Parts: sequence; C-alpha cells; structure tokens
Amino acid sequence: MQEVINELLETMMSNQVSVPVIQPVIDMAAQVPMVGLGISFILWTPIFALLICPGLSTLGIFLLFFPWIERKLCGRIQWRVGPREIVPWLGGLIQLLADTLRFLFQEVIVHKDAHRPYFLQFAFLSFAAALLPLLFINAGAVIAIASPYGVQLLLALVCLFPLFILGLGWASNSRFAFIGSVREAFMYFAYEIPFIIAVLAMVILFGTSNPMLIPDKWGIILNPIAAFTFFVGAAMATSRMPFEIPEADQEVAAGPHVEYSGIAFGLIYVMCYEKAYILSALMVVLFLGGGGGPYIPGLTVHLGDLMGIVWFLLKVIIVMTTMFVLRTIYPRYRLDQGLTIGWGAMIAISLVALAWSIVFVFLQQGGVL
Amino acid sequence: MEKEEQDRNMHILRTGVLSPVKRWSAKWSLWPCHFVTSCCGVELAHAFASGFDGERLGTLNMGISRQANFIIVEGTITRKMARALRIVWEQMPDPKFVNVIGACGQRGGIFWNSYNITRPSEIVPVDFFIPGCPVTPEGILRGVRAVQDKIALGKDETTIKFKKVALPSEVGQGSTIPTSPKRFAPTPLVKVDIPREVDWDFGSTTVSNLKSQLEGLYKSITITDKNRIAIKTAPENLMEVARKLSDNMGIDHTKSVNVVDVPHEQKFILEYMASSYSNNDLMPVIITLFTEIERKAEPEFPSITPLWDSADYSEREMHDFFGIKYEGNAGMNAKFLLAPETQTPLRKDFKLDEENYVFDDSPLNPKIDLPTSLEMPAPTDLYDEAEASDEFIILVGPHHTGSGHLRWILRIKGDIIVDVTPDPGYVHRSMEKIAENRLYIQNVPLFERANITDPFNMNLGYVHAIEKALSIEVPERAKYIRTMLAELSRIGAFFYDSGIFSLFTGHSTGFMYVWAIREMILEATVRLTGSRCTPSFIIPGGVRRDISKDVLDMTGNFTTAVNKRLKKFEDIFINNPVFIARTKGVGVVTKQEAIKYGLVGPFLRASGVDYDIRKVEPYEVYDKLNWEVTTGDAGDCLGRYMGRYEEIKQSLSILKQTVDALKRMPRGDVISGEVLGEYKEASEDIKGHLYHAYGNLVLPKGEWTSVIESARGTLLYSIISDGDSNVPYRVRIVTPCWMNLRGIVEASKGERVADFWTIYGSFGYFPPEADR
Repeated sequence: MQEVINELLETMMSNQVSVPVIQPVIDMAAQVPMVGLGISFILWTPIFALLICPGLSTLGIFLLFFPWIERKLCGRIQWRVGPREIVPWLGGLIQLLADTLRFLFQEVIVHKDAHRPYFLQFAFLSFAAALLPLLFINAGAVIAIASPYGVQLLLALVCLFPLFILGLGWASNSRFAFIGSVREAFMYFAYEIPFIIAVLAMVILFGTSNPMLIPDKWGIILNPIAAFTFFVGAAMATSRMPFEIPEADQEVAAGPHVEYSGIAFGLIYVMCYEKAYILSALMVVLFLGGGGGPYIPGLTVHLGDLMGIVWFLLKVIIVMTTMFVLRTIYPRYRLDQGLTIGWGAMIAISLVALAWSIVFVFLQQGGVL
Repeated sequence: MEKEEQDRNMHILRTGVLSPVKRWSAKWSLWPCHFVTSCCGVELAHAFASGFDGERLGTLNMGISRQANFIIVEGTITRKMARALRIVWEQMPDPKFVNVIGACGQRGGIFWNSYNITRPSEIVPVDFFIPGCPVTPEGILRGVRAVQDKIALGKDETTIKFKKVALPSEVGQGSTIPTSPKRFAPTPLVKVDIPREVDWDFGSTTVSNLKSQLEGLYKSITITDKNRIAIKTAPENLMEVARKLSDNMGIDHTKSVNVVDVPHEQKFILEYMASSYSNNDLMPVIITLFTEIERKAEPEFPSITPLWDSADYSEREMHDFFGIKYEGNAGMNAKFLLAPETQTPLRKDFKLDEENYVFDDSPLNPKIDLPTSLEMPAPTDLYDEAEASDEFIILVGPHHTGSGHLRWILRIKGDIIVDVTPDPGYVHRSMEKIAENRLYIQNVPLFERANITDPFNMNLGYVHAIEKALSIEVPERAKYIRTMLAELSRIGAFFYDSGIFSLFTGHSTGFMYVWAIREMILEATVRLTGSRCTPSFIIPGGVRRDISKDVLDMTGNFTTAVNKRLKKFEDIFINNPVFIARTKGVGVVTKQEAIKYGLVGPFLRASGVDYDIRKVEPYEVYDKLNWEVTTGDAGDCLGRYMGRYEEIKQSLSILKQTVDALKRMPRGDVISGEVLGEYKEASEDIKGHLYHAYGNLVLPKGEWTSVIESARGTLLYSIISDGDSNVPYRVRIVTPCWMNLRGIVEASKGERVADFWTIYGSFGYFPPEADR
C-alpha cells in the first residue's frame, strides 16, 4: 500500500507545474503534511490542466465574464453602454452572475409534447460533452492528457457538439426547434470538412499532431489560408454571425433552444461560449504559437509555466473577442448561402491550404526554406 | 385569481434561505419578452436602443417567452391579442412580472369605447402601469425600475403616484351638467355623389368620354370635386362598367373599397375607388364606382377581384365590418381582421358607448367585454392538408421576434415557401367606428395613433379631406411648415423601417445606429411641436402655432448631423456584402404584378411605376421645391430599400429647402381665417381657442376624398358627411401598409424561408397602421 502511494507521489512530484516565483512558498507548505500533499496534487500537471487552466476554473471565469465583455463591446460599437447599473463603478462587471443566478432559481418548464427524459438530459449532457475537448488542449506546457493523436482526438470531440444540439431540437418537439436542428445538421456537414482539412494542413506542416510538440511558431504566418479557413469554420461551428443560421432569432426563434427555460437554458446559453473557448484555444495552439511569447526579462524566468498560460489566455481572449465582434458587423446569411460557402469556397480554399502545407514541407525538406 | 398568481411570483422570491440572492438576481436580470402588442412598441424599442439603452439596467430583450421573465405589454390589447397575451404569459417560467405601458392598457386611452379592445389587467396579473400615449422611453425605464424596487424592497405600488396640487380654478356658473357637444342628424341624408362646380377642363372631357363609353350602363356620372368622379350604376351593371373602365381607359387598380350603411333607407352603398397607374393623364383622378343594394343580414354581391385584384383584402375587411358576402372572394368563410366572435360592428345599429358628461368621483370605467374564451383556434385542417402534400406549416407570430403584431401562416416545402397567409387584426383598434362617434377635430389625434412613426402625414391626410370639403386655402407659411413636418416624419418612418429591416436580417448594429439617428428626429419633433410621436400639430386650416427661428435653425443643423451619421450607417449596413447577398434578386415584384396587387408608395416605384402623389397631384408646396421622384426597375428587396434610401436623401434636401424658405419668410398667420371665423386673433397660435373654433365644425354634404403620399405610400381618407351632424357619418381610411400586405404575400411565394423576413422587412410593414 505504502509503495503504491509512494509511487503515486513520485509521479506527482516529477510532473509539477513549475512557478519559480512561488516555489519558496510551496516548499514551505510542503512541510505541513496534508497541505503539502494538497498543493502538490493541484500543481500536478494533469490535475492543474483539468481544474485550473485550461480546464474548469478558467472556463468558469470565461463563461461568467465573456458574455459581459461581448455585451459591453457590442454596446460600445453600437453607440451605447451595455450592462452597467448593477455595479456602476465596475461597468456592470457582475451582470452575468445575476443572470446565472436568476436562471438557477427559475422554473424549468418541460412542456407536454417534449420527450421528457431526453429533453432534460441533453441540456446537461451537452454542457458536459463540451468540456471533454479541454483534456487535449495545452496552455503552454500544461496539458491534461498528452497524446500523439491529441489534435485528432480534439477534433473528434469537437465534432460531437452538433449531435447534442440535434438531440436538443429533437427532444423539444417544436416546429421551430425542428427547423433549427435541421439547419444545424446541414451547416455541420458544410463546415466540418473544410474545418478538418484546415487542421490537417497544419498537422502536415508541423509534422506532428501532438499539441505539446507543436513548435511555438505562428502558423498564421506559415499558412494564412489555413488560418482563415479555420477561423471561418470556427465561426460556423459556434453559430456566430454571419453564420448564425440554426439559431436565427428572427427566423426560427432560437431554433433548438426555443423550449428551454431556467437553468437548462442557462447551460445551453453558455455552451456556445464554451465551444468558442475551445475552438479559440485550438486556434491559438495551431496558428498563434500556443503559449509562446516574447521574452520579458524578470517575468518569464520567475513565472515559469505560468508565463505560457498567460500568453495562451491573452491570445484566446483576442481570438474570442474577434469572433464575437463579428456579430456587430455582419447580418446573417441564408441557409443555402451558408451551405454554398461551406461546400464551395471553403472546401476550395481549404484544399489550397493543404497544398500550401505540402509544398511548404517539401521545400523545407529540400532545404529551400 | 389574478391576485393569487401575482402573489405566487413574489412568494417564490420571498421564501427560502436564499431569498436575498433570489431577489437580487431577479432584480438585475429582468429579461423582457419580445412581445410587441401595439404602437407603444416603437417607444419601447427606443428605450432599448442606443438613445436610452435599457440594457444598462440588466434588462435584455429576449425573443423567446420561455427564457424571459418579464412582459412589457405595449398599449392596446385587442380581443385577438388577448389570447396571445395569455398564452405567452403562461409559457413563461415563474417568477414572472408584467408591466403595462400606455394609456390604452389601463382604461382604453383614446380608444376607450372601441369594440375591439380589452383590459390587460383582466387577462394577466399586472405589476405596474405606466401612463402615456405613447409612453416615453424614460417612462418605460421608470417602469422597469419600479418592478426592480418591487422585487428588492417589496414596494407594492401599481402605478406612479402623482402629487395632488390644488390649483386655483374658476368656479363654474351654477351646477349645470355639461351636455354633449355632439349632434347626430336623426335621418341623415347620405349621398356620395354631390356635384360640385370646379375649374377642371380635363374632368368635363373625361366625363363626356365616360358617358359615351358607358352608354346605358350607368345611372349618373358626377364630378364631385377636382380629380374626383363618381359613377352610379345598378348593382348588376357594376362589373361591366368596371370592365369597360379597365379595358378602355386603363383604370387598373382600386385604391379603396368602401361600404356605407344607411339603415333608415334600408340600403348599403357599395363603393370602389379606382384609379390608374398606367395612364399618366388619369393618375390623379379617382373614379368612385358605386351602387346601392338592399340592406339585409347577409347580402351578397359579386366580387371585383377577377378584374382588380387589389380589392381583395379590402373586400374581406368589408365582409368583417358589414357582413357583405363578396361572391368569388376566397376569404369569405372566416373573419379576416376581427376576432371570430365579433359581429358586424360598422353597421349603424351597433352602438358604441358614449361619454358620460356627469362628473362624479368614480373612475371612468368603460364597459369592456372580455373574450369569452382564451383558446387560440389552431388551424388543424390546414395541418392535415399540408401534411398530406408533404408540406410543413409554421405559425409566425403574433409573438415572434420576426413577426411584428400579426400572425403569418407559412406553408413550406423543404426550404421553399409555398404559400403565405396573413392573419392581421391583432392591433385593430376600430378607428373607423370610433371616428363616427367623435367630433371632426377630435379625430385628428385619433387617426394619428394609426401610425405613430409617421404622425404628421397621418394628420395631413385627414386634415386635407376636411379642407377640401370646406374649400379652405391654407396660409403660405403654414404650407411650408406642413411640408417640413411631413418630410421630417417621412425620414423618421424610413429610419424606423430600416431598423426593423436590419434586425430582420440579423444585424443589430444597423438597428442601433439608425435608431440613434431616429432619436435626433424625435428630438427635432419635440422642439418643433412638443411631442415625440403624437403631436397633433396639423389642424384644419393650418398648423397649431408658428415656429420660432431658433427651432428652425436647429432643424436646419440637424439635417447636416443626420447626413454625417447616415454615412456610418451606410458603411456598416447598406454596403455590407452579406446584406447585399441577402437582398439582391430576392422577392421580385414585376411592374405588372405591382399594379395588379395595387402596391403603393416607394414599393410601387421600386417596381418601375413613376407614381408619387407629391408630383401627380401636388399638395402643400411640393410643386415649388426642387426635388426628384426616385424610381427603380429591379423590384427586389434591395431595390425597394435603396429606392427609399434615395428618397430620404431627397427628403433631407426638401427639409433643408423648407427650413431656408421659412427663415426668409416673415412670421405671420399660420391658420386660415376662413376656418377661425370670429377667433381671428388665434391665427398665430390656436392655444385657448381650439374648441371654440373647431368644436362645431360641420362638413358640407357628400364624400370628401383626399390622397397624400405618406412615408410608406398612398394614404387615402374618405369622409362622408350628411351636412348636418358635427361628426362624420363614415370615415374610410386606407393606409399604405394595408395595400402593401398583398405585396409581401405575393413576393414571398417561391422564395426561401429565410427570405420571408427580408421581404417583410423590405416592405416596411407597420401593423398598427395596416390594422388601424
């Protein structure tokens, strides 16, 4: 028994997130029996990735504040202020807290025509399913599960989202939900292929699909076409304007979400932010150099692994904000126009991106580059 | 029962350990359901757009009732809408709150004796009432604050408490009970073809031409006014006369279908007002084709739709109002505009409540019958029929982010629209009936409420009809002021429609920008007239008061400011590639179709018909100003929108020209002395003399029809007076949106589902205006 624990401890201690600046504090705490163990456990890289960053805590903070950032930013662009009065001196920073709590205490209505078990399950399942891809994303050097097929696994899990949305729509048994789910299914097929090809192009370019081994190079410079395809694909996958086709409020009354209320809706509402977070993280890893950043004397050394996380989060915020600002710039495409773009232009440019990568790799191996 | 329901909501928040958290979160997260019930919705949108930004308070407008916890009932709840209100309220999760804004939501407001309204407080429990007609955005936000206080502090107030102030007032002479100023002739003489001597050469040649062509078919042909000809026929000949007019003279559309009930002579007068879009000479001429039939419970008459399709919806409307069955019209088996249980309300034997002239302390409580059942009849046979042919029915509205205040029944096959059936009447406040019970001057504010986005034109049309009847010449300065105001309101209405259009295409920034600009127009309107949306500034004979120079300066500067901001709007919305992709080539209405369905205004011009009443039959000072009519030939959504956009640029130029002209002009009379009579001293400001001068206005016998070009197209008022009563015998209003409804339906057929909203938006449809 003792041996097992010792071995576990050894594994834990050998794979800690290193933050030089707080190392003395950790060392001191390690003297205290249980606290030391606890701290080591949390700083154990997989657990840290799962619970702190890029996992649950970061996600939670993002979900609480990103809708606020979006509403505030859209407000500024649209010549108004956005949420404010709740805490005027902070610009209404905790608006989402009020909204979340309100949803939590609100009645969840399951209407007569709905398929009750699925109706409730899918709302919670889809939230949980959206968490899975987080296991395979690295923030700098911190990752939960490092796998040589990390990127592929991530893609496979990302492609699970639409199934849950279809489930939501199906269980709702409403006409608008039905049309919305069908639209979602159509759009899914339209963006999925170019999206995957764009990722594949980067895998070929880097020669690895292990996110940990992807160099801190800026893929957006090496292959801008792939980056563009990926970004548009991500906008389609998260139903952002101009591709907010399945959830079009004015047309199909929020489509699959139309019958949900209370906290069930709250979970679905944040799911799109969850998706946006994951896809932005993937974009950062593949195209924006992951956790890499310029060397800042004094900081980089002292923060250690934390520095990678800081760069990573900064880049994620930039990508997500760009994605959300799209909403204020574009109207919505029609379903057939969305499909034409997906099956036509998007596939074409994704193939160009793939060819670019192959040529790039050949040139690199030939020593030209 | 309502009290219990209301208490239940507060009870949920007040109980439990987490009560403070519940109350805090509910307070800051009141999401109003996007449920537009009447015209106060315009001001609601202002409250949540850039100008006032209701989102500051954490109130985010949500399209779906399941996710909202707050309803802001905007004004009138009609009998049809009552059902929708109850359903939406029941769909929302507890705890939920209701605010009622507008005077009509409390005791009916200006529509207090309408046959079609109900009281929202008897349908759902109401937390707070906000008075106003319409409510200002500040008022709406104050209502939100009141509900927040109610949640957080438990304040139990249902409306704003006004301070009572003891004003010194003159003591009346004795205790005489005021009597009604209204005078109804007991057996009114109703004729629609009273001849009038006018200086109109083309008229006499047309009449002789008509006489030779219609030999033996007509009973009489009369010139009733300049550009107005009335043809009387026997009922069996009417169709033949119409065919001759259509074939030989190019009379290709109807502007109005009207019925006049004359109970003491046991007859109905059936009228069709027809005109021409294809014959340039006949464009300003309106030919009233009428006949008399026997008055009985359900008279039958052949429909004119095979010849003039534009009469279709108006005939259905007359079927609702008078119970006349137009044989051959497809909509005769159900009510179109009214709730199913309503009887024929515009017949003279259907009486409305009268004002009570005995003042006592009891509140004014007009008798309002609630709808007997709140069940919404689902078109089940339609579902079965559609399913049999592999089609799908979706009901859009009246509570839907993209429906406005009416219901659309879309029949789709895959992604293609097979058929669209409109179900209007959710905001039908029965203006035509109410107008028969009010003095002429009291109807000015009434008709303005038909369309508070375009108030000056609504006034202007009605006032024109009165001025025509009384042959009043309006002072020059008043004419310029009227033109200025009419253009201001045209610009405002365009911005309203652009905002809705950009929202329908999913572009919220376009909406916000354009509503911020609209806020400036309302500001100008306030400074010019004193009210944001319902100024009632134009009165028979002129305008209420003269406008000072600094306000004119402000209005002039404002055109520059609008132009500057319009550029930004153009960049983000009009030049947006996605917007162009969505609208180009979508919902095409060809010239022939546009004429056939009787489209009006900029939507007709977008299809290539050069018809603008401001040029065809110039009124006010439009013939003295320098401007152009914009026509297009694409007839698609982009064409319709851009046509209006160009028109607004012309309007801004007209506005500038009128302001400059007014600044050069010396201040002087703005009300014609002919109408003021002995109150001549009021010719610069009617304040204090309005009822003395206008209270007893009586129009001469006959039918007086005026057409003007309002923001969305031809606006027709037709007043029938018996020459004795000081209230109109019958007023017929045909609003542009009512005529354009058909256009939306026809343009949508065969397009994709998402295009329906583009088409709907491009037609600038404003349901309160259409339903009246």
